Amino acid sequence: MTSHANRVRGFALGWSRNSWMLLVGLSVVAFGLGFLVVGRFRLDGPPLGTFAAFCRSLGLDADLAPAGEPQPPLRTPSGVAWTANTLDFIAAGDATHGAFVAMNCGACHGIDGISHSALVPTLAGLDAAVIYKQLADYRSDKRLWGVMNALAKALSPQDAADVAAHYARLPGGLPAVTGLDRPAGGRSLRQTDPALRLVFAGDPARGIAPCGVCHGPSGYKIGAPALWRQGADYLERQTAAFATGARANDIDEQMRTIAAQLTPEEMLAVAVFYATPPAVGAQRPGGLNSGF
Amino acid sequence: MFRASRLALAHYWVAFGLFLPAVVLGAWQMLMRSPLPAPLDDSNLYYASVTLHGTVMAYVLTTFFVMGFGYAVTATSLGRPIRGMGAAWIGFGICLVGTLMAAATIVAGRASVLYTFYPPLLASAWFYGGVFLLVGGSMIWVVLMILNMSLWKREHPGSPVPLAMFAITATACLWAWTASGVAVELLGVILPAVFGMTRQIDAGLARTLFSVTLHAIVYFWLMPAYIAFYALLPQVAGGRLYSDKMARLVFIMFLVFSLPVGMHHLFADPEHGVGFKFLQTVFTFFVVLPTLLTVFSICASLEIAGRARGGRGLFGWIGALPWREPMMLASGLSLLMLGLGGFGGLINMSYAMNSMIHNTSWVTAHFHLIFGGTVVIMYFAIAYEMWPRLTGRPLRSKALARWQLWSWFWGMLITTIPWHIAGLMGQPRRVANFDYSIPDVARTAVLVDVSVAGGVILLCSALLLIFILVRSHFVASSDARVGDPAPISALGYALAVYPPLRVPAALNGFALWNVIVLVLVVAAYGYPIGQFFFLKPHSAPAYDVTRE
Repeated sequence: MTSHANRVRGFALGWSRNSWMLLVGLSVVAFGLGFLVVGRFRLDGPPLGTFAAFCRSLGLDADLAPAGEPQPPLRTPSGVAWTANTLDFIAAGDATHGAFVAMNCGACHGIDGISHSALVPTLAGLDAAVIYKQLADYRSDKRLWGVMNALAKALSPQDAADVAAHYARLPGGLPAVTGLDRPAGGRSLRQTDPALRLVFAGDPARGIAPCGVCHGPSGYKIGAPALWRQGADYLERQTAAFATGARANDIDEQMRTIAAQLTPEEMLAVAVFYATPPAVGAQRPGGLNSGF
Repeated sequence: MFRASRLALAHYWVAFGLFLPAVVLGAWQMLMRSPLPAPLDDSNLYYASVTLHGTVMAYVLTTFFVMGFGYAVTATSLGRPIRGMGAAWIGFGICLVGTLMAAATIVAGRASVLYTFYPPLLASAWFYGGVFLLVGGSMIWVVLMILNMSLWKREHPGSPVPLAMFAITATACLWAWTASGVAVELLGVILPAVFGMTRQIDAGLARTLFSVTLHAIVYFWLMPAYIAFYALLPQVAGGRLYSDKMARLVFIMFLVFSLPVGMHHLFADPEHGVGFKFLQTVFTFFVVLPTLLTVFSICASLEIAGRARGGRGLFGWIGALPWREPMMLASGLSLLMLGLGGFGGLINMSYAMNSMIHNTSWVTAHFHLIFGGTVVIMYFAIAYEMWPRLTGRPLRSKALARWQLWSWFWGMLITTIPWHIAGLMGQPRRVANFDYSIPDVARTAVLVDVSVAGGVILLCSALLLIFILVRSHFVASSDARVGDPAPISALGYALAVYPPLRVPAALNGFALWNVIVLVLVVAAYGYPIGQFFFLKPHSAPAYDVTRE
């Protein structure tokens, strides 16, 4: 019995010892190969020394260190970042005081926030965050348009938040995002009309995302203005300005990247599409029509 | 035993009940990606659909099926009632509530983050909460499996635990380890952002934690198929299992080598150095060992059966096998798909070759062939094998079941082979709409169309499955023994050629192996996870997909 028990115990110990030895051996070989051999060889340079290879294998690359070469000076497209504080600040805007501030704006943007000029956008119904950001960019000269820079500098950030709140709540202007995410009938990518295609499907081959996912009607991204029923001339002019870099206050450079790839015909088609939306989705009575 | 039948059936019905709509979604997704006209052509719906399809297939079908299988195996292999029946039903309830929470949130369009979450995307708290309940509820099952095996061992000192019970307990241990990654990711990274405690998500850390789960979970899905290969198939074939000890070793190796390998899903992630990526590649390759041992062992067992049935010559035994049995047929088809998919997997897991196919449709095709094919076809076979024993009514019918298995096999091949090729041609995965007017994309159009045809076959096959299961369970037939359910103990397990009288403690429990897993996981993941806290604490703003 004792010898049998010993044998059983010895057998069990054997399993345990052998398993550990196998796994430790395997790990040592794998670590050795991974850290001292694989890490040594690079496509883009001579083999590394042992210590450098070890660091590279750990993921501590030269990429992590500050670049040694002189870098071009940073250009910040906008002083606004969509932090929680900024969003809370905008949301707390006082529309009543905003209506008072807005008396400065009515001459061009329309007393009811609805523009009658081809150069000036409609503000009624525009998202407060959009208005606030543009005012901030005018104030810091990140976006340039003579009179607006002067006016924005006369406003405090609080004034800007208030007037943004005022215009965001004005009825009768830009319609709300409807969530409509494909043109009436048919698949978005099969559209032959360049405007429908760009708005609903973008152009994957050129890396252009659909306009509609940020600017409506299908979706909304913070900081992007809803465009339905905005003036066609204004839209076309802004797209062209982004394309040449004359306007450069898009935070991630997305509008400059996209606009630079559009042909003048496409800019016009998209602008006309947004200014005169087809009869689908939510239409607010008393809104803009294309006759302004 | 009857109570165990009800428990197992409840789990199976949830699994298969949600499987069918998920297949419908999968077929629609195939159509949506194709040049053919699709109803409800909408990219947002596509991503919601992918999320629901993935969540149901990866978490719901598998978890419920494995739990149900585990309870049936416990009751039958130990030959006594399950200890902890009340807890088992509570676990079932928690998992079901979690499933419904997650599914409703996805359907509402508030959780289109796919089943792998993709931080810094952020879905509704109800989705994560649902998944967390589903995974958490299944931990009750884990405890019950370990408890039942331990109690049995205490009452039968020195006796080897029945192989099927040993294997299902290995599965339970594996699932506990597997789920730890996603549980820590949810609790530590995602839920704090969901509840507004932080607005930043460390996507690298979240992805690394999920990678702990991401590959091991595949072996958790696979385990019931392997248990069927070892414990059920030789019996159905009329032979014996080649080696009981080798089978135990295989399940242990799956437990040990499933965990420290997930980083082969992160080959393109820049946070990790080549050293750990290579290390985990090496460990991944060792999964080949239990796989090849299984192929050898099962072929040997089947040869024993084939020769016992009168097969002669080098290959004559193959024809002598009972191919009309669903379990036999499914196993053959499953092993064929395992062969094809396994070689594809060798490419995915190779550090250098992976860059050819990383993030292309190849990967999607691969896991559909391995999981949807190899694994799920065995789920069907297990269901066909168990249904008469759980319901007390005959399967209606074996001929229909064979049709179902064959159509699933061909559907899966027709879907995934062109899908692999499209991936090799550079087709990216996770894309709702392809612009087939671009010449490079147009080259894949025919392949995608063929995949759609495969998807339709799979859908028909899934409908047939549900038809067979419903008909066998609920529709009384003339020869049905209504009211006379056979106890599920009638489920027969294969005897080994040399049934073990004693096995070493290492092959009769998991203490040693869990310690080894712990050490390996710390060695393989300690630094890659730890570095995020000391060297690379980069966070990105969370992007809330539910925001309008």
